[in-house]
Amino acid sequence: MATLEIRALRKTFGGVVALAGVDLTVHSEEILGVIGPNGSGKTTLFNTVCGVYRPTSGTVHWNGVDIAGKPAYAIGRLGLARTFQQAMSFPALTLRENVQIAIEHGSRRADGAGPQWSSPEELLQFVGLEAFANEIANTMPFGNLRRLGVAVALGGRPSQLLLDEPAAGLNEGESVQLIHLLRRAHQLGVGICIIDHHVGLMAELCARLAVLHFGNKIADGPTEAVLNDPKVIEVYLGEEQ
Amino acid sequence: MAQMAAIAEARPPASRQRKNRALPSSAALIATAILVVGVFAFPWFNPGYRALSFAVTTGVTAIVLYGMAIPFGQAGIMSLGYAGLMGFGAYTAAILSRDFGMNMWVAMPFSVLVAVLCAGLFGLPSLRISGHHFAITTYVMCELLRIALINGGKFTGAATGLDLPPMGMLLGVKLDKLGNAYELVAAFMFLSMLTAYCVANSRYGRTLRSIRENEQLARAIGVNANLHKVGAFMLSGLFAGVGGDLQAYNFRHISPDLYGGATSLYFALMVMLGGPRTIFGPLAGAIIVTFLPEVMRIDPVDSRIAYGLALIAVVMLLPGGVIAAAGRAYRWAARALHGAPANSGSADAGASLT
Repeated sequence: MATLEIRALRKTFGGVVALAGVDLTVHSEEILGVIGPNGSGKTTLFNTVCGVYRPTSGTVHWNGVDIAGKPAYAIGRLGLARTFQQAMSFPALTLRENVQIAIEHGSRRADGAGPQWSSPEELLQFVGLEAFANEIANTMPFGNLRRLGVAVALGGRPSQLLLDEPAAGLNEGESVQLIHLLRRAHQLGVGICIIDHHVGLMAELCARLAVLHFGNKIADGPTEAVLNDPKVIEVYLGEEQ
Repeated sequence: MAQMAAIAEARPPASRQRKNRALPSSAALIATAILVVGVFAFPWFNPGYRALSFAVTTGVTAIVLYGMAIPFGQAGIMSLGYAGLMGFGAYTAAILSRDFGMNMWVAMPFSVLVAVLCAGLFGLPSLRISGHHFAITTYVMCELLRIALINGGKFTGAATGLDLPPMGMLLGVKLDKLGNAYELVAAFMFLSMLTAYCVANSRYGRTLRSIRENEQLARAIGVNANLHKVGAFMLSGLFAGVGGDLQAYNFRHISPDLYGGATSLYFALMVMLGGPRTIFGPLAGAIIVTFLPEVMRIDPVDSRIAYGLALIAVVMLLPGGVIAAAGRAYRWAARALHGAPANSGSADAGASLT
């Protein structure tokens, strides 16, 4: 099983400390949630791990390979995939072409790890969008676009998926569909690491939670324990009560 | 949802034999056949020397435009450097002819090589800047080339330019006869069209479109966007090299003013007018811009004003160019006549490159 090991990861933008030395280990057997208030460094964490930003200091190892500072495409080819909160799809292309591009690129691991897709249709079927294969992505309702984003990420045969607020903007029913989809992806052997604010959703989906606050990890453990941690309630959950 | 998911999983995997290669529609194939026959038959209609030489210019230009349509139409990167790249091809041919006595065919690979390398160089700034900024940068590179050619002394022939020998014979056909030169250019033009079509419909074409549509996502799924951006420019340089070589031997005299920023702007106008993502767009743009002032007897200065207005009109009213608009009109008419169900999505079928 694949492991992502983040050690003392630090990222600063000028004087702003977005990540103040984060340690986090992600195993692909689990569904891990990363929560934290706005500006706590969640998206920066993904961006720094996935090569969008170069870390200021610290290390990131993926299956033992040092990937800190590698370009984003090289990390994608190692089977570490991510979704974006905003940029989910290739908007002017058909759904088939969207997933076909992902299938044609993605992981180049020699061991053939990750879910295999024999055709774009099979992948669209997996996410329940096979009826819209010939539709243009930007004509899709938002819920379908979110699922297409997951499909594009899965198309690259990842061993680990990092999802940046995949449920943002979804209604109750669509969120439930998405949870089912992510569980099924997990059954294919894809590790799931997910960022979201939505504590209810995270509590339902994730067995383990990590909490970020001002670029520091303040809690990490089984979901139940973390949600009852007084520190977490104070900085994060307290705001909602 | 759980049930739906269970049903979806129970279904057999989608068939492997479906290749999803969108074959051209019969309408597009008929249109292409008529076009090919019409273009090759053009000299038999006795168009006169002037119209025929305009047609040669159009063909040579269209070759370059089909190259330009790859980075612009597929990868979404607009460059104003193509006159310059064509110039590299043309000057390479002229200098090799003068100094080494190479003929058009021997010089062509060298013209292509130089244009391809320079195209990669012109494309490098696209890794850092995009949109208007990149377009302006390439325009400036083109102008720099023109200034360098003017100041190149005997090597480039300075402002007067260079002369070339006649084209000679090919398989017993005298290419110096304008009608024959026209057929040769037409053949290269169709070859360019076919190449652009094949690129757009290949895996590589899809990769370029992923960069155009969402570069960040493309990178995340493993697309080496930097490599492919420069690669797309180098591929388009191949067309510019061939076009430059053919142009030099057809004109038999080249000068720096042919390859400045202004010519590049005309190229951009042509591609946008015709439509960079359609198979006939670049050719249509080249024909319209080359022949319109001649047919309508507009003064060359006035025609520039007309082009400016035309470009604004196309961008605002017919995004995708006149060929894409014609395709939409055709499908609309077909639906209105036959009451056929609406074509799903907004994909430009038929006349589209992709």
